[in-house]
Amino acid sequence: MKTLQANAGVLTNLEVLEFLRARGATSDPMGCLGAVAPSECKVFDYLVNTPACNQTRGAIDEFLKRCEKFKLAKAEKFNIINLRPSNQALIDPIIEYCEKRLTKDEARGIDEVQELVDSVLEVLPPPPAKPDEEMQDLEEPPTAKPMEEN
Amino acid sequence: MFCLSLIEHNLPLPPHLLNRPLLDAIKEELERLFLDKVLSNLGLCISIYDIRTIEGGFVFPVSLGFFDDIKVPVHLLPHKSRMGDDGIWIWEHECGDLPMDLDEEVHFRVTKINYPPIPLEQDANASPFSPMEIIGEIYGDGLGLLSWWAD
Repeated sequence: MKTLQANAGVLTNLEVLEFLRARGATSDPMGCLGAVAPSECKVFDYLVNTPACNQTRGAIDEFLKRCEKFKLAKAEKFNIINLRPSNQALIDPIIEYCEKRLTKDEARGIDEVQELVDSVLEVLPPPPAKPDEEMQDLEEPPTAKPMEEN
Repeated sequence: MFCLSLIEHNLPLPPHLLNRPLLDAIKEELERLFLDKVLSNLGLCISIYDIRTIEGGFVFPVSLGFFDDIKVPVHLLPHKSRMGDDGIWIWEHECGDLPMDLDEEVHFRVTKINYPPIPLEQDANASPFSPMEIIGEIYGDGLGLLSWWAD
Protein backbone atom coordinates (compact mmCIF):
# COMPACT_ATOMS: atom_id res chain seq x y z
CA MET A 1 0.00 0.00 0.00
CA LYS A 2 1.31 3.42 -0.89
CA THR A 3 0.03 6.65 0.62
CA LEU A 4 -0.36 9.18 -2.19
CA GLN A 5 -1.86 11.93 -0.04
CA ALA A 6 -2.13 11.48 3.72
CA ASN A 7 -4.48 14.43 3.95
CA ALA A 8 -6.61 14.82 0.85
CA GLY A 9 -9.22 16.89 2.66
CA VAL A 10 -11.07 17.03 5.95
CA LEU A 11 -14.71 16.03 6.22
CA THR A 12 -17.19 17.47 8.69
CA ASN A 13 -19.10 15.01 10.81
CA LEU A 14 -22.14 15.91 8.74
CA GLU A 15 -20.43 14.83 5.51
CA VAL A 16 -19.39 11.49 7.00
CA LEU A 17 -22.89 11.00 8.40
CA GLU A 18 -24.47 11.74 5.01
CA PHE A 19 -21.99 9.42 3.29
CA LEU A 20 -22.82 6.52 5.61
CA ARG A 21 -26.54 7.24 5.44
CA ALA A 22 -26.41 7.23 1.62
CA ARG A 23 -24.74 3.82 1.78
CA GLY A 24 -27.65 2.52 3.83
CA ALA A 25 -26.65 2.99 7.47
CA THR A 26 -29.53 3.49 9.88
CA SER A 27 -29.95 3.76 13.63
CA ASP A 28 -31.41 0.28 13.69
CA PRO A 29 -28.42 -2.07 14.01
CA MET A 30 -30.28 -4.88 12.24
CA GLY A 31 -31.19 -2.56 9.38
CA CYS A 32 -27.53 -1.82 8.77
CA LEU A 33 -26.65 -5.43 8.01
CA GLY A 34 -25.59 -5.97 4.45
CA ALA A 35 -25.55 -2.30 3.56
CA VAL A 36 -22.61 -1.24 5.70
CA ALA A 37 -20.06 -3.07 7.81
CA PRO A 38 -20.66 -3.36 11.58
CA SER A 39 -17.72 -1.04 12.25
CA GLU A 40 -19.27 1.57 9.94
CA CYS A 41 -22.57 1.17 11.77
CA LYS A 42 -20.79 2.02 15.02
CA VAL A 43 -19.36 5.18 13.47
CA PHE A 44 -22.86 6.09 12.29
CA ASP A 45 -24.28 5.55 15.78
CA TYR A 46 -21.60 7.81 17.21
CA LEU A 47 -22.28 10.56 14.66
CA VAL A 48 -26.04 10.47 15.05
CA ASN A 49 -25.51 11.45 18.68
CA THR A 50 -23.43 14.50 17.79
CA PRO A 51 -24.64 17.93 16.64
CA ALA A 52 -24.13 16.74 13.05
CA CYS A 53 -27.41 14.82 13.29
CA ASN A 54 -29.56 17.83 12.46
CA GLN A 55 -27.11 20.07 10.65
CA THR A 56 -27.50 21.07 7.01
CA ARG A 57 -24.95 22.00 4.37
CA GLY A 58 -26.63 25.40 4.14
CA ALA A 59 -26.14 26.09 7.83
CA ILE A 60 -22.49 25.10 7.63
CA ASP A 61 -21.88 27.35 4.60
CA GLU A 62 -23.59 30.21 6.42
CA PHE A 63 -21.48 29.66 9.53
CA LEU A 64 -18.25 29.57 7.49
CA LYS A 65 -19.19 32.91 5.90
CA ARG A 66 -19.97 34.49 9.25
CA CYS A 67 -16.75 33.38 10.90
CA GLU A 68 -14.43 34.44 8.04
CA LYS A 69 -13.62 37.69 9.83
CA PHE A 70 -12.15 35.84 12.80
CA LYS A 71 -9.50 34.19 10.59
CA LEU A 72 -9.80 30.81 12.24
CA ALA A 73 -7.74 27.83 11.11
CA LYS A 74 -9.55 25.13 9.12
CA ALA A 75 -9.29 22.66 11.98
CA GLU A 76 -10.74 25.21 14.40
CA LYS A 77 -13.72 25.91 12.13
CA PHE A 78 -14.35 22.19 11.67
CA ASN A 79 -14.13 21.53 15.40
CA ILE A 80 -16.65 24.29 16.07
CA ILE A 81 -19.00 22.87 13.43
CA ASN A 82 -18.64 19.35 14.78
CA LEU A 83 -18.94 20.23 18.46
CA ARG A 84 -21.27 23.24 18.31
CA PRO A 85 -19.87 24.95 21.45
CA SER A 86 -22.69 26.99 22.92
CA ASN A 87 -20.78 29.34 25.24
CA GLN A 88 -17.40 31.01 25.65
CA ALA A 89 -16.03 28.38 28.01
CA LEU A 90 -16.68 25.65 25.45
CA ILE A 91 -15.18 27.64 22.58
CA ASP A 92 -11.99 28.52 24.45
CA PRO A 93 -10.17 25.17 24.17
CA ILE A 94 -11.00 24.97 20.46
CA ILE A 95 -9.20 28.16 19.48
CA GLU A 96 -5.47 28.37 19.96
CA TYR A 97 -4.31 31.56 21.71
CA CYS A 98 -7.94 32.65 21.81
CA GLU A 99 -7.32 35.70 24.02
CA LYS A 100 -4.68 37.01 21.61
CA ARG A 101 -6.55 36.40 18.38
CA LEU A 102 -10.09 37.39 19.32
CA THR A 103 -10.53 40.86 20.72
CA LYS A 104 -12.27 41.41 24.03
CA ASP A 105 -12.51 45.05 25.00
CA GLU A 106 -15.29 45.84 27.44
CA ALA A 107 -14.60 49.57 27.33
CA ARG A 108 -15.14 49.69 23.58
CA GLY A 109 -17.92 47.15 23.74
CA ILE A 110 -16.11 44.58 21.62
CA ASP A 111 -16.34 40.92 22.42
CA GLU A 112 -15.38 38.86 19.40
CA VAL A 113 -15.53 35.63 21.38
CA GLN A 114 -19.16 36.31 22.16
CA GLU A 115 -19.74 37.26 18.52
CA LEU A 116 -18.39 33.88 17.51
CA VAL A 117 -20.54 32.11 20.09
CA ASP A 118 -23.55 34.05 18.82
CA SER A 119 -22.84 32.93 15.25
CA VAL A 120 -22.78 29.36 16.45
CA LEU A 121 -26.02 29.73 18.37
CA GLU A 122 -27.80 31.53 15.55
CA VAL A 123 -26.66 29.47 12.58
CA LEU A 124 -25.95 25.92 13.76
CA PRO A 125 -29.04 24.11 15.06
CA PRO A 126 -28.93 22.87 18.64
CA PRO A 127 -28.71 19.10 18.82
CA PRO A 128 -31.86 17.35 20.04
CA ALA A 129 -31.89 16.82 23.79
CA LYS A 130 -30.81 13.31 24.75
CA PRO A 131 -33.47 11.29 26.58
CA ASP A 132 -31.12 10.40 29.44
CA GLU A 133 -29.70 13.90 29.75
CA GLU A 134 -30.49 14.02 33.48
CA MET A 135 -28.68 10.79 34.16
CA GLN A 136 -25.50 12.12 32.57
CA ASP A 137 -24.61 14.17 35.62
CA LEU A 138 -24.41 11.00 37.67
CA GLU A 139 -22.27 9.14 35.16
CA GLU A 140 -18.56 9.19 34.51
CA PRO A 141 -17.29 11.24 31.53
CA PRO A 142 -19.04 10.28 28.27
CA THR A 143 -16.43 7.78 27.10
CA ALA A 144 -17.38 5.24 29.79
CA LYS A 145 -19.58 2.40 28.60
CA PRO A 146 -23.31 3.02 29.19
CA MET A 147 -25.00 1.57 32.26
CA GLU A 148 -26.81 -1.68 31.65
CA GLU A 149 -30.56 -1.36 31.26
CA ASN A 150 -32.72 -3.28 33.73
CA MET B 1 -11.88 14.66 13.08
CA PHE B 2 -12.50 12.72 9.89
CA CYS B 3 -10.09 13.11 7.02
CA LEU B 4 -9.74 11.72 3.51
CA SER B 5 -6.54 9.98 2.48
CA LEU B 6 -5.60 8.92 -1.02
CA ILE B 7 -3.83 5.59 -1.24
CA GLU B 8 -2.62 3.36 -4.01
CA HIS B 9 -2.57 -0.39 -3.66
CA ASN B 10 -1.74 -3.42 -5.78
CA LEU B 11 -4.63 -5.74 -5.24
CA PRO B 12 -4.69 -9.39 -6.22
CA LEU B 13 -8.31 -10.50 -6.29
CA PRO B 14 -9.01 -13.94 -4.86
CA PRO B 15 -10.85 -16.29 -7.24
CA HIS B 16 -14.09 -16.43 -5.27
CA LEU B 17 -14.76 -12.82 -6.32
CA LEU B 18 -14.39 -13.76 -9.99
CA ASN B 19 -18.01 -13.61 -11.04
CA ARG B 20 -18.82 -10.29 -9.36
CA PRO B 21 -18.72 -6.95 -11.16
CA LEU B 22 -15.15 -5.71 -10.94
CA LEU B 23 -15.87 -2.57 -8.91
CA ASP B 24 -17.82 -4.54 -6.28
CA ALA B 25 -15.12 -7.16 -6.06
CA ILE B 26 -12.42 -4.55 -5.64
CA LYS B 27 -14.40 -2.63 -3.02
CA GLU B 28 -15.07 -5.80 -1.05
CA GLU B 29 -11.41 -6.75 -1.11
CA LEU B 30 -10.32 -3.22 -0.09
CA GLU B 31 -12.76 -3.33 2.81
CA ARG B 32 -11.43 -6.69 3.89
CA LEU B 33 -7.91 -5.27 3.93
CA PHE B 34 -8.41 -1.79 5.34
CA LEU B 35 -11.81 -1.32 6.97
CA ASP B 36 -11.68 -0.92 10.75
CA LYS B 37 -7.89 -1.27 10.68
CA VAL B 38 -5.27 1.21 11.79
CA LEU B 39 -3.10 2.35 8.89
CA SER B 40 0.35 3.39 10.03
CA ASN B 41 0.77 7.18 10.16
CA LEU B 42 -2.72 7.70 8.78
CA GLY B 43 -5.19 6.57 11.43
CA LEU B 44 -8.17 4.24 11.71
CA CYS B 45 -9.81 3.55 8.37
CA ILE B 46 -13.57 3.84 8.93
CA SER B 47 -14.76 3.59 5.35
CA ILE B 48 -13.75 3.27 1.72
CA TYR B 49 -14.91 6.65 0.45
CA ASP B 50 -14.55 6.06 -3.27
CA ILE B 51 -12.38 4.35 -5.86
CA ARG B 52 -10.64 6.87 -8.09
CA THR B 53 -9.00 4.73 -10.74
CA ILE B 54 -8.47 1.10 -11.47
CA GLU B 55 -5.44 0.38 -13.55
CA GLY B 56 -3.69 -2.65 -14.78
CA GLY B 57 -5.15 -5.96 -14.28
CA PHE B 58 -1.77 -7.53 -14.69
CA VAL B 59 -1.60 -10.58 -16.80
CA PHE B 60 0.62 -13.55 -16.84
CA PRO B 61 1.32 -14.28 -20.51
CA VAL B 62 1.33 -17.83 -21.86
CA SER B 63 2.15 -19.04 -25.36
CA LEU B 64 1.60 -22.28 -27.23
CA GLY B 65 4.20 -21.38 -29.83
CA PHE B 66 1.63 -21.49 -32.59
CA PHE B 67 -0.82 -19.34 -30.57
CA ASP B 68 0.07 -16.50 -28.23
CA ASP B 69 -3.12 -14.77 -27.17
CA ILE B 70 -3.41 -16.57 -23.88
CA LYS B 71 -3.61 -14.54 -20.70
CA VAL B 72 -3.91 -15.48 -17.09
CA PRO B 73 -5.25 -12.42 -15.25
CA VAL B 74 -3.71 -11.79 -11.86
CA HIS B 75 -6.79 -12.91 -9.95
CA LEU B 76 -6.55 -16.34 -11.56
CA LEU B 77 -2.97 -16.91 -10.44
CA PRO B 78 -2.40 -19.07 -7.37
CA HIS B 79 -3.66 -17.24 -4.32
CA LYS B 80 -0.93 -15.04 -2.90
CA SER B 81 1.12 -14.27 -5.95
CA ARG B 82 3.16 -11.15 -6.42
CA MET B 83 5.23 -9.68 -9.18
CA GLY B 84 8.91 -9.43 -8.31
CA ASP B 85 11.09 -6.44 -9.20
CA ASP B 86 12.36 -8.29 -12.26
CA GLY B 87 8.84 -8.66 -13.65
CA ILE B 88 8.64 -12.36 -12.80
CA TRP B 89 5.52 -13.54 -11.01
CA ILE B 90 6.13 -15.40 -7.76
CA TRP B 91 3.78 -17.75 -5.94
CA GLU B 92 4.11 -17.10 -2.19
CA HIS B 93 3.75 -20.70 -1.07
CA GLU B 94 3.93 -21.63 2.59
CA CYS B 95 7.02 -23.73 1.81
CA GLY B 96 8.74 -20.76 0.19
CA ASP B 97 8.59 -18.49 -2.84
CA LEU B 98 8.07 -20.26 -6.19
CA PRO B 99 9.02 -17.99 -9.10
CA MET B 100 7.19 -18.44 -12.39
CA ASP B 101 10.27 -18.21 -14.57
CA LEU B 102 9.95 -17.49 -18.28
CA ASP B 103 9.99 -20.34 -20.79
CA GLU B 104 8.81 -22.85 -18.21
CA GLU B 105 6.13 -25.30 -19.20
CA VAL B 106 2.76 -24.66 -17.52
CA HIS B 107 -0.64 -26.29 -17.42
CA PHE B 108 -3.56 -23.89 -17.37
CA ARG B 109 -7.32 -24.39 -17.29
CA VAL B 110 -9.33 -22.51 -19.92
CA THR B 111 -11.90 -20.32 -18.13
CA LYS B 112 -13.11 -18.28 -21.09
CA ILE B 113 -12.54 -17.77 -24.78
CA ASN B 114 -13.21 -14.28 -26.13
CA TYR B 115 -13.93 -13.55 -29.78
CA PRO B 116 -13.81 -9.76 -29.92
CA PRO B 117 -15.57 -8.16 -32.90
CA ILE B 118 -13.25 -7.14 -35.71
CA PRO B 119 -12.64 -3.37 -35.39
CA LEU B 120 -13.38 -1.26 -38.48
CA GLU B 121 -10.50 1.08 -37.73
CA GLN B 122 -7.52 0.86 -35.42
CA ASP B 123 -5.09 3.43 -34.07
CA ALA B 124 -1.59 3.17 -35.44
CA ASN B 125 -0.26 2.40 -31.97
CA ALA B 126 -2.94 -0.06 -30.88
CA SER B 127 -1.76 -3.60 -30.28
CA PRO B 128 -2.51 -5.90 -33.21
CA PHE B 129 -6.06 -7.17 -33.20
CA SER B 130 -6.51 -10.69 -31.87
CA PRO B 131 -9.72 -12.37 -33.07
CA MET B 132 -9.48 -15.00 -30.34
CA GLU B 133 -8.28 -14.56 -26.80
CA ILE B 134 -8.04 -17.32 -24.23
CA ILE B 135 -8.35 -16.48 -20.56
CA GLY B 136 -6.78 -19.15 -18.42
CA GLU B 137 -6.35 -19.88 -14.77
CA ILE B 138 -3.51 -21.56 -12.98
CA TYR B 139 -5.16 -21.68 -9.60
CA GLY B 140 -5.49 -25.17 -8.20
CA ASP B 141 -3.67 -28.45 -7.83
CA GLY B 142 -1.75 -29.56 -10.86
CA LEU B 143 -1.89 -26.16 -12.51
CA GLY B 144 0.89 -23.68 -13.05
CA LEU B 145 4.47 -24.72 -13.59
CA LEU B 146 4.80 -28.44 -14.20
CA SER B 147 7.94 -28.45 -12.10
CA TRP B 148 5.79 -27.68 -9.06
CA TRP B 149 3.91 -30.93 -9.41
CA ALA B 150 6.64 -33.22 -10.69
CA ASP B 151 6.94 -36.64 -9.05
